[in-house]
Amino acid sequence: MMNRYILFGFLILVMFPWPTLAKVVDETELDVQVREIAKTLRCTVCQTENIWESGAPLAVQMRAAIRERLTLGHSPEEIHAYFLSRYGDYILMQPPKHGMNWLIWVAPFALLLVGGFFLYKEVKQWVRPSSSTPQQPPPPLDQEARERIERELHHP
Amino acid sequence: MSRGLQFSLVIGLLALFALFYQGLWGDPRSIPTVLIGTTAPTFTGPDVESGQTISLDQYKGKVVLLNFWASWCYECKVEHKDILRLHQQFKDHPNFVMLGINYQDELPDAKKYLKTYGSTFQHVRDIKGSLAIDYGVYGVPETFVIDQQGVIRHKWVGPIVGQVYTNLTENVITPLLNNTPPST
Amino acid sequence: MIIEIGHFSVVVAWVLTLLGIGSSIAALRSRNADWVRVGRIAVTLTFVLLFVGMATLVYAFLMRDFSVLYVANNSNSKLPFFYTVAAVWGGHEGSLLLWAFILSSFSTLAVWLHWRTQPTIMPYLIAVESAVMLGFLSLIVFLSSPFARLVPTPLDGKDLNPLLQDPAMVMHPPMLYMGYVGFSIPFSFAMAALFSGRLGEEWIKVTQRWTIFAWLCLTTGILLGGYWAYYELGWGGYWGWDPVENASFMPWLVGTAYLHSVLVQEKRKMFKVWNLLLIIVTFSLSLIGTFLVRSGVLTSVHTFATDPERGLYILIFITTIIGTAFGALIIQSKKLKSQIEMDSFISRESVFLFNNLFFLVAAATVFLGTLYPLMVETLQGGKVTVGPPYYNAVFMPIALGLLFLMGIGPYIPWRKASASNLKKNFLVPLIAGLVTVVLLLVSGIHSLYALAGGFVVGFSGSAIFLDFGKISKLYANREHVNLFKGFLKAFSANQRRYSSLVTHIGVLILVIGIIASTIYQTEKVVSMKVGDTFSIADYEMKLLNIHEVEGKNWTAQEGVFEVTQDNEVITKLRPQKRVYTASQSPTTESAIHAINMGHIFLTMPDVSADGVAVARGVINPLILWVWGGGGIMGLGVLLNIFRPRRREE
Repeated sequence: MMNRYILFGFLILVMFPWPTLAKVVDETELDVQVREIAKTLRCTVCQTENIWESGAPLAVQMRAAIRERLTLGHSPEEIHAYFLSRYGDYILMQPPKHGMNWLIWVAPFALLLVGGFFLYKEVKQWVRPSSSTPQQPPPPLDQEARERIERELHHP
Repeated sequence: MSRGLQFSLVIGLLALFALFYQGLWGDPRSIPTVLIGTTAPTFTGPDVESGQTISLDQYKGKVVLLNFWASWCYECKVEHKDILRLHQQFKDHPNFVMLGINYQDELPDAKKYLKTYGSTFQHVRDIKGSLAIDYGVYGVPETFVIDQQGVIRHKWVGPIVGQVYTNLTENVITPLLNNTPPST
Repeated sequence: MIIEIGHFSVVVAWVLTLLGIGSSIAALRSRNADWVRVGRIAVTLTFVLLFVGMATLVYAFLMRDFSVLYVANNSNSKLPFFYTVAAVWGGHEGSLLLWAFILSSFSTLAVWLHWRTQPTIMPYLIAVESAVMLGFLSLIVFLSSPFARLVPTPLDGKDLNPLLQDPAMVMHPPMLYMGYVGFSIPFSFAMAALFSGRLGEEWIKVTQRWTIFAWLCLTTGILLGGYWAYYELGWGGYWGWDPVENASFMPWLVGTAYLHSVLVQEKRKMFKVWNLLLIIVTFSLSLIGTFLVRSGVLTSVHTFATDPERGLYILIFITTIIGTAFGALIIQSKKLKSQIEMDSFISRESVFLFNNLFFLVAAATVFLGTLYPLMVETLQGGKVTVGPPYYNAVFMPIALGLLFLMGIGPYIPWRKASASNLKKNFLVPLIAGLVTVVLLLVSGIHSLYALAGGFVVGFSGSAIFLDFGKISKLYANREHVNLFKGFLKAFSANQRRYSSLVTHIGVLILVIGIIASTIYQTEKVVSMKVGDTFSIADYEMKLLNIHEVEGKNWTAQEGVFEVTQDNEVITKLRPQKRVYTASQSPTTESAIHAINMGHIFLTMPDVSADGVAVARGVINPLILWVWGGGGIMGLGVLLNIFRPRRREE
């Protein structure tokens, strides 16, 4: 008999649309911190995906590990250091700026500068000596535009 | 094109193709471990079959071989016979311990796996996967050898079969048990 | 039986490819036109045979003939019809066959199209196209045949990778390959020019439409890939700087450089070696991309078992092609004593040079980033990841530089720009760029990249509209019509120029979309039960219920979310957590609602046994501009390809 009442009570508890049960949920500060750290770490079993975006089981566990460490009061730097000590540089989404890695951090800009300088010098060389002689002043603006139209109209 | 430009073009192409050639023999999935020579992280966890707690600290002063595996992993089945053979080979040595670590698995699946394929040593369940992360594990099977001082001396990713088996037993485990430095 | 016919056809095609090479060499030796005809027949028959090969494979898929290994590995009896066709190129062997098929259709088309006008080029064209074809067909015939049988026949197939079961993925590989292969035509003409010594401008003019067509296909392919990643991978982004994506982006970057620099050679007959170099690099990068994707050097196509055989073969093949091309260029470059003459540093010529510099540095950056892990492994034995944070950091400045040049190049005159000319063309854009920055600052945008992006977009955008405005007005005045008609007349008078500017407008819109959706993306992940609500930006998402739904080859848990803004219901979103029946692999299907040119993007990555769902909401502002911009770029190219022919061409 008693069981039936308990069951009935339980059913009410479950079935009744308690207004207080539907709540507004939001991210906690911890969630945001987990995300920020997870985005900088690579899912080691995926193809260039971070552990935040990946759905692989290892990524899920790594996110849990980050959360646990944050709850224990570890700082983001300590967590980075922990993962680095386990997996090496590979775990970071970008090569850390030391040693040979400087090569790829500097190369794009170095190439632009060197290439730009080289181009500038070459073009200066190619410029016809004759063009150094004073040229006639450019024709009036409208004239030039008319010429352009004239030219284009000749080839309908 | 100037001579210098031609020369550097040829050198660049040669270097590129040499790099590609070299790359063919690598495995893009393998990550060289940074753990060799560091103290093995300690762990405690339930035994897969009995459920009793096992801790790495129990085996201080012994050579410990850790083998990460899972019931869903194909290569684990490939190496399983050799893993059992390896245990047979060293199990009588007082200073040798072998532990399986069951990784990312369901308990019933793991139990069934051990029943089907046989087991002669203990297996620890890594429930949250934190043990695996501590060891920098990214795929199974992975095998670690820890020396008497609790330092990780060797790691291998992939099945322990053939040449790998010989190397592991002759060049790593035996010297460690004889207290001579391993020659890997 | 049918599949054996396919196999046999491909083997015969392989033999015919040898005949194609042989007959064109004979034609060059004997100067007998009959040999060229034999070559033409060989190329055409290869196409027919590869068509038969493709058809038998498609047929095997449609008949669900699981006795064919490739069919069994890449499809399943429950796979929907639409994806069954796409499954033909869902795996390694089939994609190679598709590559070869597209190559043979393009070379056949090129041979028949240019037969009359380019008789001297023909033997070279046939030889080069057949040599590339031989490489791919050998790979198919000897190392990766999609026609192999599987004994015993399984009851059902393993199914196509669920991630590939997406409409964008159906078209993505063919478009990409059409891009790669399309560049083989200008490449072949360039090689013909090098071997024959006819190094004038003709090969560039003849292949101009091929080049922009290839560029259009490659661009579409890349954008479709992004679209696919956005909808299917479920993290709300469209570009991950993944090695496979990079492999398609590198030929695009150099191809784009080539597209611009040939204009200089057409108008000013300069940079001959440079253009040959660019097209060789573009096509080489297409081949290298195929090597990187197919060999397993950068991405693991296979687990633990490493099988370098295929990779080694592809490497030897591409080394031969690329080596021959560069070798020919180096040897012939002596004949190409450049008659470079320039009037001034401040001219369209030099802007084009800097455009090329930026594109090449961009390509080199992607190249270096993609190969750097391999370099580190080879030189140091370690391993690093070069991921999106790296590329975003170094690529942004280069891209902004390019966009800025885009606002200068088309409006600065050839030869020499005078000060008054510069003032006339660039004062207003400069002011417009600065005004954009001020407007952005006033509206509360302080991100440096957004401001820099705003400046270049304002600058380049206003330059385009200034040009359109001026020319429309002049035509309107001249023809005594209204401004719009004047614009149309101006457009059709010089359709090549103005259709390119349309493409430029598309690029600007795309860039606005990229900047906005990258920098101002907001994201929230919450755990919630039925009845709970969470808010993101100014939208409220209420989880109404979670129920089971079933598709043809999958089952899913579907969450129904009601989206409201200011207490007004906007829409209902239904993200799913799917499990595909055959492979038991899970996917997250995103639910998307377009609003204010942006997207509300919702996924439900997980539902626990006790009914707690993980919901992930992402707001991607202006993301529609990314796809819209891409569409406008494509429209510009189409207007360019289908422009009325002029006498001079």
